[in-house]
Amino acid sequence: MDAMPAWLSRARAALWAAALILLAASLAAVVGRAPVEAQMGIVQKIVYIHVPSAIATLIAFGLTFAASIAYLATRGWIWDAVAASACELGMVFATIVLVSGPLWARSAWNTWWTWEPRLTTFLVMWILYGGYHVVRASVSGGSKRTISAVLGIVLFVNLPIVWKSVAWWRGSLHPRSVTMTGEMRQTLLLSMAAWLVFFAAAFLERLRLEALRNATASVDRGEAAR
Amino acid sequence: MRARERRDRAFAVTALRVLSKDLKLHARDARFLATLALFSLSLVLILSVAFGPLFHDPAREAAATLWAALFFAGVLGLTRALDLESESGGGEALRLTGADPFSIYVGKTAANVLLMAVLFALVLPCSAVFFDVGNLAVLPAVAGVAALALIGYAAWGTLFAALARGVKARELLLSILLFPTLIPLWIGAVKLTRSLWAEGSIDAVRDWVKIMIVVDVLGVALAAWLYEAIQEAEE
Repeated sequence: MDAMPAWLSRARAALWAAALILLAASLAAVVGRAPVEAQMGIVQKIVYIHVPSAIATLIAFGLTFAASIAYLATRGWIWDAVAASACELGMVFATIVLVSGPLWARSAWNTWWTWEPRLTTFLVMWILYGGYHVVRASVSGGSKRTISAVLGIVLFVNLPIVWKSVAWWRGSLHPRSVTMTGEMRQTLLLSMAAWLVFFAAAFLERLRLEALRNATASVDRGEAAR
Repeated sequence: MRARERRDRAFAVTALRVLSKDLKLHARDARFLATLALFSLSLVLILSVAFGPLFHDPAREAAATLWAALFFAGVLGLTRALDLESESGGGEALRLTGADPFSIYVGKTAANVLLMAVLFALVLPCSAVFFDVGNLAVLPAVAGVAALALIGYAAWGTLFAALARGVKARELLLSILLFPTLIPLWIGAVKLTRSLWAEGSIDAVRDWVKIMIVVDVLGVALAAWLYEAIQEAEE
């Protein structure tokens, strides 16, 4: 299989349309519907980007892990493409989390950064997955996919640590779970849906790019063989 | 049963031969070992000057210095072992023997543990003297903490070093991957060493022993699963 299936290409267009509509709706809800929180004021609205981005990050790196195992088991290029695409998007969403977090923290905790478990473990995860991309970009030839897959599996060790850090270590400022009611809850759920659909659309777009790269490489190899 | 015994014996023989080969390569490269020792001592010196001359919590600062110096110097040791193997063609020859990849990993990890243990034996007294901490009564317990920390360091370090083998600037890359991964190990080593030096026991921070064991076991388990794939990638 050297290119993306036709149904995935069609799904791409539908997902982009849904993502744009949902993002517009969630932005309208964040600005117009969700009430301004009494203590933190307007800064609290960062949560509608921060939380969905954090969830998208964990899904992306989880997908990288699963696809890496699948690659080592089957050696199918598509699994390497899925892992690389998901990991790249995971980095983008993780960066959004790391930028939006301090903006929230400044208002909520009166500091841009504090060495609390969730923040620290998340930063560690961000650095490590940055290393994944450096390795992937540095290794050439046939070993690239295998090395990337091994790293995609090894680095997954961090995800449960980030997830459970709030429960495992004392002194965490992050809540164990987000409890919201009424319009705030509805807006958060809408934002989550919007960002996750956006993630799916961007993921398919990135996967298409990998498919095109793979097809180009196959043509190059064919010409070289001739 | 006999086939299993033969397999186990072959595993142990391969691991011991790889260990012996790596130690011989290090022994022939005495100039590098001397440089590594001086580098570790320089780190201890710099950090002791930075923390001093009046130490706030000498046991804590000495423990942090000891483990920071070892972890930084260890990266150079890990990459040097790979360079020596590439120069001698030993890595390629090992793969051609068809030996169990995990037994090769175990041999290499053991060699890295021993290299780090030598560095530890050198840096420990310097840290203790510069910060005026520690006593001989807790030395066996500190050695136990070191065993946990160095086995974990070598287990993960050997795995990541094999991954970074073909990459340019691998010292930097190894640091990027290894240090964040080993944060639990580093914190555990510092907390346990500090507790032994300051209080003479680890009662208050005993949980870190379990965390360090988990990190060690996880590193070895992942290598047992994935080292073969890494070796295949090198072919």
